[in-house]
Amino acid sequence: MQMMPLGLMGPGERGEIVEVGQGTPECGGCRCKEERKPGDVRVEDMGLRVGKQVEMLNNSSNLVLLKVDESRIAIDRGVAMKIKIRR
Amino acid sequence: MTEQTPHTANDAVSSAAPRPLVVAVAGNPNVGKSTLINAIAGTRLQVGNWPGVTVEKKEALFEHNGRKIRLVDLPGTYSLSPYTQEEIIARDYLVKLRPDLIVNVVDATNLERNLYLTVQLMELGIPVVMALNIYDEAEAKGYRFNLHGIETMLGVGVVPTSATRRSGLTELLDKVLETAAQPADHAPRILNYGDDVETAVALLGDTLRREHPALFALYPERWLLLRLMEGDERLRQEINLAQDALPEEIFHHLRRGHGEDLEALMADARYSQAAGLAREVLFKKEERRVEMTERIDRVVLNRFLGIPIFLAAMWLVFKLTFDLSKPFGDWINDMAGGPFKHWTTVLLGLVGAPDWTVSLATEGVISGVGFVLVFVPVIFMMMFFITFLEGSGYMARAAFVMDRAMHAMGLHGKSFIPLLLGFGCNVPGIYATRTLENPRDKVLTALLIPLMSCGARLPVYVLFVGAFFPNNPGTVIWSLYVLGIALAIVMGVFFKRTLFRGEAPMFIMELPPYRMPSFTSLCLHTWEKGKHFLIKAGTYILAVSIFVWFLLNLPWGVEHKKDSYLGQAGQVMAPVLSPLGFGTWQAASSLITGVIAKEIVVGTMGEIYAPKKGEQKKPEASFGEDLQEIAVSFGKAVKESASNVVSTFGVSSLAADEKEDRGPLKATIQQTFTPLSAYAFMVFVLLYMPCVVVAIAMRQEFGSWKWFGVAFAYQSALAWGMAMIVYQGGQLLGWGV
Ligand SMILES: Nc1nc2c(ncn2[C@@H]2O[C@H](COP(=O)(O)OP(=O)(O)OP(=O)(O)O)[C@@H](O)[C@H]2O)c(=O)[nH]1
Ligand SMILES: [Mg+2]
Repeated sequence: MQMMPLGLMGPGERGEIVEVGQGTPECGGCRCKEERKPGDVRVEDMGLRVGKQVEMLNNSSNLVLLKVDESRIAIDRGVAMKIKIRR
Repeated sequence: MTEQTPHTANDAVSSAAPRPLVVAVAGNPNVGKSTLINAIAGTRLQVGNWPGVTVEKKEALFEHNGRKIRLVDLPGTYSLSPYTQEEIIARDYLVKLRPDLIVNVVDATNLERNLYLTVQLMELGIPVVMALNIYDEAEAKGYRFNLHGIETMLGVGVVPTSATRRSGLTELLDKVLETAAQPADHAPRILNYGDDVETAVALLGDTLRREHPALFALYPERWLLLRLMEGDERLRQEINLAQDALPEEIFHHLRRGHGEDLEALMADARYSQAAGLAREVLFKKEERRVEMTERIDRVVLNRFLGIPIFLAAMWLVFKLTFDLSKPFGDWINDMAGGPFKHWTTVLLGLVGAPDWTVSLATEGVISGVGFVLVFVPVIFMMMFFITFLEGSGYMARAAFVMDRAMHAMGLHGKSFIPLLLGFGCNVPGIYATRTLENPRDKVLTALLIPLMSCGARLPVYVLFVGAFFPNNPGTVIWSLYVLGIALAIVMGVFFKRTLFRGEAPMFIMELPPYRMPSFTSLCLHTWEKGKHFLIKAGTYILAVSIFVWFLLNLPWGVEHKKDSYLGQAGQVMAPVLSPLGFGTWQAASSLITGVIAKEIVVGTMGEIYAPKKGEQKKPEASFGEDLQEIAVSFGKAVKESASNVVSTFGVSSLAADEKEDRGPLKATIQQTFTPLSAYAFMVFVLLYMPCVVVAIAMRQEFGSWKWFGVAFAYQSALAWGMAMIVYQGGQLLGWGV
C-alpha cells in the first residue's frame, strides 16, 4: 500500500482518498477547528472525501483538476498536497 | 426585492383567502434551479453554465391549477454551513423566513454529492419535493433510478425533470400542490446519525427545552440541535448563547469516542447517508468512457495552449461581432440621418414649430440618440457571444486557465469570472464579486472591473475604427480589450503590493460539463443583457442629449458651438488633453459628458459635428419612396452581414470594398484626428473613470464611496498616462501621420 499526496499524481492516474487535511501547515495539516473562517470552503462538501476514488485530469499548472464521481473539481496545489491518496 | 414576514407552514392551508404558496428552490450550484423557474414561471432569471450564477435570491409569482405560487430562487450551495455568502443567504432564508415547501433541485448525473445537501434540507422540518433535474443527460449516460426507492427512503416526493426541455414541469407542480395540501403527511424522514450522536442530541434537547424554551419557536428543532452539536458559531451568536451554556459532558463523551472535530463527524455521517442512498437507488453501467467534456478540456486547459486559445477565442468573438453587426449599424445610421431627420423637419415645419425646436429635434435628439442607436446592433451581437460563452461552460475554463496570471495580482482564477462578465456591462460584474469568498478579493476584483471594456464603450471604438482602421476593425478593437486585461494585471500587482497585501485564499471550483446552449435561450438572455442599453438610449441618453443640446446652444443665440457653455468647458479641459493628441474642445466636451455613460461620448460628438440645418440638402423624396428605400437597404444589410461571416473565415472577400463615406461625423472626425490620436482617444475612453451606474453599484456593494474614490483616482491617472504614452511614443516612432 502506497500513500502519497494527491498533488503528485500524474494525469490519468487514479487513487482512493485516505486523508483530507485542510488546516494550515503550522498546525500540521490537521483540521483545526479554530482555523476555519468565514469564506473557507470545505473540499469535503464538494465530494472530495475519504474513501472516494479520484482521477487526476490535469496537473500541469498551479491548479490541479480532479474527477470525483461525476464532477470535475479544480483546487490549488497547496490544498491538493494535503490530501493523501492510496493507489 | 420584497421581504416576506415570517410565517409557519400550517397557516397555508387554514387561511381562507389563500396567500401564495411560498416555495424555495434550493440545490447545488449549476443544477438548473434558475432554468427550472424560468421554464415554469416564464421569468428571465439569469442562467449560465458555471457555478455561482445566482448570487441573490430572486422571486417569481405564477399560478398552477388555480393556486398562486411564489417561487424563490436561492443561490446554489453545496451545504448549509454558514461559511460562504451564498450559503448564508440560502440558509437564512430557509431557517428564518420558513417557506411552505422546498423544491430541491438535484443534478441527476451527480446524485451522491447532491444528496448531501438534500439530507441537510430535510432537517429543516419543511416538506421537500425533489426535482431530479438534468434527467435527459442522466438517461443519455445510461443511468437508471429507483424513484420509488428515493421516495420511501427519504419521505420526499421525487419527480424527474428536464428544465431545458421543459419536461416533467407539470408533474413537479402537481406534486408540489399535493404535498403542500397535506404537509403533515409529507414530513421528510428523520435520518439517524448513530447512537452516540443521537443520545447527545436528545440530551442537548432536554437542556435547551429547560433553559431556553423560546428557541424552539424560532428555529426548526432538529436543525437547531444538530447545528449546535456541530459547534455552529454563527448560530450560537445569533441566539445569544454563551459558549459554556451548553453542558460540556454531552460533547465530552462524543469527543472522547470520535475525536475533536464534531463538525467533521456530523458531515461524515451525513455523507455516508447520502452515499448509501445513492448506492441503493442509482444504477449505472460500470464502463468508463472518455467523455466529450474531458476531450475538449485536454486541449483547452493544456499548459501551453490554454492562454493562446483563450485569446484566440476572444479575438474571434470581436471579429464576428464587428463583421456581423456593422451593416446593420450603417443602416440605422442612414435611416436616422436621412429619412428620419428629413420627415421630422417636414412634420415640425407643417405644424409651424419654431426653428429652434427643429434644431433641438434633429441636432439634439436625432443626432444624440440616433448616434447611440447606431451601435445597438454591435452591442447585441457582443452580448450574444458573451451569452454563448456563459452557456457553453467555457467561462469556468477561462477562470482555470487564467489562474496563474491572476495569482500574480494576489487573486485567484475565480476572480476572472466577474472580470469577464464586466465585458458585457461592468455593473453585473461588480455584483458577481459576491461569489468570491474573501472580502479583500471582492474589493480588489471590483476595483479592476472598470478596466474591462464594457458594451457602452464599443460605440466609441466602432466610430473611430470605422473612420481610421477600416481594414482590420476587429483586431484593433480586440487590442483595446486585451490592453484592458493587461492593465488589470499590472494594476492588480500594484494594488497587491500597496493596498492589499496578503495571500490569495485557496481555490476550489467545479468545472461544469460543456453544454450547447439552445438558440432560443441564447436569444432570450442576449435580449435581457442588451435591453438595458436600449432602455438607457430611450430615457437617460435622450435626456442627456437634450441637455447637451442646450449646453451647446446657450447662452442663447451663440454663433459658434465653441462659445457655448459646453464648448467653453471643453476649451478649459482641452490643454490637459493636448499631450494626448486630442486637445480639441470638441473631444474634451464629449469626454466630459461621457462620464454619465460612455456611449454619450459619441452622442455628444454627433451633436457637436451635426451639420447646421440646410447644409445637407437632399433631393426631396416622397414618403413612399423613403419607406421603400428603408426596406431595400435593410435587405442589403442582411446580405452584407451574411457575406461578412463568410469572409471572416477567409473563404472569400466579397464585402471588402469600402463604401463611400456618407456620415458627416466620420468625415469630420477624419479631419480632426489622426489614426494615432484616434487610438490614443480610444485608450483614454477605455480607461477613464467608471460611469455613474458603476459608481452606484460599488457604493452599494461596499457600503461607502471609498472604493469608488480609489477607482476614480487611479483610473484618471492611468487613462492620461497610457494615452500619453501611446501618442507620444507613437510620434517618436514616426507613426504620427
Ligand atoms: N441538459 C440539461 N441541461 C440543463 C437542464 N437544466 C439546466 N441545464 C443547464 O445547466 C446550466 C445551469 O443552469 P442554471 O439554471 O444557471 O443553474 P442554477 O442552479 O441556477 O445555478 P446557480 O445559480 O449557479 O446556482 C445551464 O447551462 C442550463 O442550460 C436540464 O434539465 N438538462
Ligand atoms: Mg441560478
